Amino acid sequence: MSLLVLRFAAFFYAGAVTAYVLYFARPRHQALATVGQWLLAVAFLVQAAAIGLGCKEYGGAEFFGLRGGLVFMTWLAAGASLVVQRLYRIPAVGAFVTPLILVVLLPTLFLVKPDFPEVLPDAVRRPMLTVHIVTALLGVALFAMASLVAVMYLLQEREVKGKRFGALFSRLPSLNALDQLNQRLVRVGFVVYTVALLTGSGMAKVVWKSAWQWDPQQVSSLVIWMLYAAMVQLRHTGWHGRRFALLTIAAFGLVLGSMVTLNVLPAGFTRHAGDFSGARK
Amino acid sequence: MNSGRDLHLVGLSHKSAPVAVREKVALGGDDLKEALTGLAARPGVGEVMVVSTCNRVECYVYGESLEEARHFFLSRTGEAEGHLYERSGREAVRHLFRVAASLDSMVVGEPQILGQVKEAYGMAASAETAGTFVSRLCNRAFATAKRVRSETEIARGAGSVSQVAVELVEKIFGNLENRAVLLVGAGKMGALSAKALRELGADRILVTNRSPERAAALAAEIGAAAEPWDTLNSLLTLADVVIVSTGAPTYVITRELAAQVMKARRGRSICFIDLAVPRNVDPACGEQDNVYAYDIDDLQRVVSQTHAARAEEAIRAEAIVEAEVMAFAQERETRAALPVLAELRRHAEQIARAEAERTLAHLGGKLDEKGRKSVEAMAHAIVNKLLHGPTARLKEAAASGDSDLPGAAAELFGVGENENPRARSRPESDSGAAAHPESHR
Repeated sequence: MSLLVLRFAAFFYAGAVTAYVLYFARPRHQALATVGQWLLAVAFLVQAAAIGLGCKEYGGAEFFGLRGGLVFMTWLAAGASLVVQRLYRIPAVGAFVTPLILVVLLPTLFLVKPDFPEVLPDAVRRPMLTVHIVTALLGVALFAMASLVAVMYLLQEREVKGKRFGALFSRLPSLNALDQLNQRLVRVGFVVYTVALLTGSGMAKVVWKSAWQWDPQQVSSLVIWMLYAAMVQLRHTGWHGRRFALLTIAAFGLVLGSMVTLNVLPAGFTRHAGDFSGARK
Repeated sequence: MNSGRDLHLVGLSHKSAPVAVREKVALGGDDLKEALTGLAARPGVGEVMVVSTCNRVECYVYGESLEEARHFFLSRTGEAEGHLYERSGREAVRHLFRVAASLDSMVVGEPQILGQVKEAYGMAASAETAGTFVSRLCNRAFATAKRVRSETEIARGAGSVSQVAVELVEKIFGNLENRAVLLVGAGKMGALSAKALRELGADRILVTNRSPERAAALAAEIGAAAEPWDTLNSLLTLADVVIVSTGAPTYVITRELAAQVMKARRGRSICFIDLAVPRNVDPACGEQDNVYAYDIDDLQRVVSQTHAARAEEAIRAEAIVEAEVMAFAQERETRAALPVLAELRRHAEQIARAEAERTLAHLGGKLDEKGRKSVEAMAHAIVNKLLHGPTARLKEAAASGDSDLPGAAAELFGVGENENPRARSRPESDSGAAAHPESHR
């Protein structure tokens, strides 16, 4: 049932992608951006229903697997991009973010084999775990959006510096707007990620009786956290524009890399099944 | 056309006259109002509108000839002779539509001209020299301009160097609120761009120049603050957009200076726009992060690209103008046929009423109220039935642009030519023509 509703949501996401991409191609038709935003909002709500139904069906265990993690992360990303649209009104961002959401969501529509533990250890059934999973996924979603905005920045910078004022030049927003948005996404993402890290070590204490274990996942999470902390700090010492954009992309590359490697390593998942989400922080 | 009055235009523009002549005839405000009422009072002139901008002065007269419009120019300066162009009828209509659609502008597609034509119409309306004809003409001209803007890409891109500069700055900084613009050198082009940037929201404009007097003079002219030349380094730390146009033969902004400034700015973006020849900003400055440097050639290249694109769009725009001119002429002819219809109907109804009255008088008191009414109704019905066919055919002929039939009808029925519809106390026709009869006669 939840899968059916999820497929329905994907349908709306596809609509939002179409509207935003058409808007990007023909920016004079402002209405397309509005349509895109509404479709995204509908998709977000439908997906919320799918997630709610999923919780009922699997008792929440679904979100400990990779598939559930992706579903939840795309939902958070959609929500975050709705908020960003509301605050900054840069519809061009939608043309970059919504396709990514759809691409990440697509495999979850067809890979339906359960990849999550049947039974969760009682030890981890705590509200702290929910907070951990939500913040970790939201943090990653925000970092992903920041890196997309950074890509937009680099594209626009190439136009502006290369003196080639072509199609992208007129369609992409100003460098300043992109740089600011990137910085804010990184900042908010960092705060959210910090909460995930703290609740994560809290959970580790519950499961392993120790907050720090030199576990590969803990190590990589800490490295990522320090990198983003450095970025937030560097901002004040003159890291603007291109360098910051490159750093944002590199940092997200690291996030992605650690997610992929640690999921592939069976040790990362089976050893402490249930205490971390499949999609990782 | 089929009446003695028509639209006539006499004017001069950047294409026909040097600025020395244009500035002698240009006028605005109360002078313009006075000139309008003066012109409208002259014999043979129905309605008047004068478009006066820095690039053109055009006098549109709806009247019997263009002599009065010519007189308007020659009375202002004898030099205008030889620079004037004259158009009448459809040609004059087309000219106004092309002007409003910015097809006749120095920079084709520039957006200001429509506003200026609207202003000219507003002026004529408030001076009460614009009547129904000019109103209809102008509304059509505005609609044409709007169509051209929305259906072609003629207004896209930046049409002048300062517009390119503005667009670039916009793509780097977004809006310019709370940002400062620095003018290095007191060149005219720089001042122009600075003004354009102020429109974008730059709330602080600083001017610096080697000779402080010129800096002060320019600052006063554009409402900026003059700063001493030896504070250039700190000014560069402060300003986000720097427009450079000094007469110096070498780089004023060297690569080293830019690097130094960037350090002091803590990496905040800065944009140099170099309008000077020889160049004043080392192009290598732009190789640094967050430093954007453009010279006049870069900007000029964008301008010529825009112009090439606009020239292509202009062909499509001309087609729209042509269609609108045709539509306007056709609409006018339809309206011109309507007075004949109104006249015909009035004439017929007059006869019917007279005959009905005669019959009723003849019968004396033999008829009751009901009987009287039915006799009147019958007379009226005969008129309606008889005129139904000719009415339809006349409307049709007018709509298809045939102006012979209305004239023939008028002659055949002996109406129209010798009677003045304005003398009628109230409109009796069911057509709308009687509402504005003066515009057709």
